[in-house]
Amino acid sequence: MAEQKTNKQNDKKITLNITTPRGVKFTEKADMIIMRCIDGDLGVLSGHEPVSAVLGDGILRIKNNGIEKKLAVFGGIAEIDKRTVNIFSTIAQPPEEIDLERAEADLREAQATITEKAEEKHVQGLHVLIHRSMVRIQVSMHPGEIEYFDEDNEDEHKKDKADES
Amino acid sequence: MGSRKDIKQRIANVSSVEQIIKAMDMVASTKLVKARAQLNGVRPIYHELKRVVDELSSRMDAHSHVFFKEREVKNSLYIILTSDRGLSGSYNTNILEKSFEHMQGKNEKIFVVGAKGNEYFKKRNKNIIRTIVGVADAQVYYFSESIAKWLTDFYLSGEAKEVFIAYTHFENVLSHTPIIEKLLPVATRTMDNTDLSDKKYEPSIDVFINHVVPLYLHMNIFRAFSESDTSEQAIRMVNMNAAGKNANEIIDELTRIYNRKRQAAITQELSEIVGSANILNKGGLK
Repeated sequence: MAEQKTNKQNDKKITLNITTPRGVKFTEKADMIIMRCIDGDLGVLSGHEPVSAVLGDGILRIKNNGIEKKLAVFGGIAEIDKRTVNIFSTIAQPPEEIDLERAEADLREAQATITEKAEEKHVQGLHVLIHRSMVRIQVSMHPGEIEYFDEDNEDEHKKDKADES
Repeated sequence: MGSRKDIKQRIANVSSVEQIIKAMDMVASTKLVKARAQLNGVRPIYHELKRVVDELSSRMDAHSHVFFKEREVKNSLYIILTSDRGLSGSYNTNILEKSFEHMQGKNEKIFVVGAKGNEYFKKRNKNIIRTIVGVADAQVYYFSESIAKWLTDFYLSGEAKEVFIAYTHFENVLSHTPIIEKLLPVATRTMDNTDLSDKKYEPSIDVFINHVVPLYLHMNIFRAFSESDTSEQAIRMVNMNAAGKNANEIIDELTRIYNRKRQAAITQELSEIVGSANILNKGGLK
């Protein structure tokens, strides 16, 4: 796909804007953004063709300078352009905003009630809740920024680190 | 004008009213700050979604979608946002009169939010199909989500062929305009420039529309609520401010009258004393 074509322009970064009903929540430059669409993951690098996509419930991963950040994003749409990705979603939570205990409690409760009740509409809602709490838990399990292994960028990455120290 | 005692009583009355006014002023101004913050939060996402939907509406392949397609108008749904409580000046009258005018000659169905609007349309024998009163501020977000869902179902089932929303747009504390906006069908535009149409939609344009339009409606309704709420608090604050000033003026005026009366009584007493003293000095009455 278009990602391969633009792999060589890795020095160019892509700007991510996340807008929620509480205002523009998140603006960041990144090397790569991986988002969960309704039919699977979509990875975006700088220079992507203009696409608008429907997002599902899942983890949004932002890779930048060898560091990966995770956000829980539930629903909404993404508008991808050459240099920018605009995400409009009702819920977008970074790990520090997630209440882990509540997510775990939600998960337990939903799993307990799903076996008891059989109403179809209700079950659907519970499945959504289970999935969302799992995503929340997963995101908050990695509160720090994780380093990931990037073959292309490895040397550069080491250099960066050396510069920093 | 009554006796001094009466005037004193009136001053006491007016000052107790003034206290209430001041309290309402304070409540309205704190609520205004909150409402404004909420409004400022929702405006960006609304404008962005509106832009996305507008972009869609200029594409030929979107025109056949049910949310965009113009249908023969048999009946129109109006969502009208008013307040539950009074003492907010012309806030309710403005929006109600504007929507009343707008629905002339239409086969209307009314979904009214707020007790004031309900009263108004009941008096005029309009076709109210749903009323909601007393929405807590904290619930507005989920509430607008449920309205958006209900609205989508209502529209898709064909019970309403077009949908309008009437709210009060907040510009600043002193100026707010009642606005009636068409929610559905989304206005289509035919544009000549084709550079937009090479944009792709994942997984397909129909699925995209099915997701975007409900989200857009939700944000639009939530924003309309926030706009109306902010305007209401702003108008109430301004009105209470004016009422406080008026109460102060009345108190000043009454105090002046009271003092004049008191002075008059003193002067009268004095002249009586002086008069009688004079007579006594001259040897009394003979």
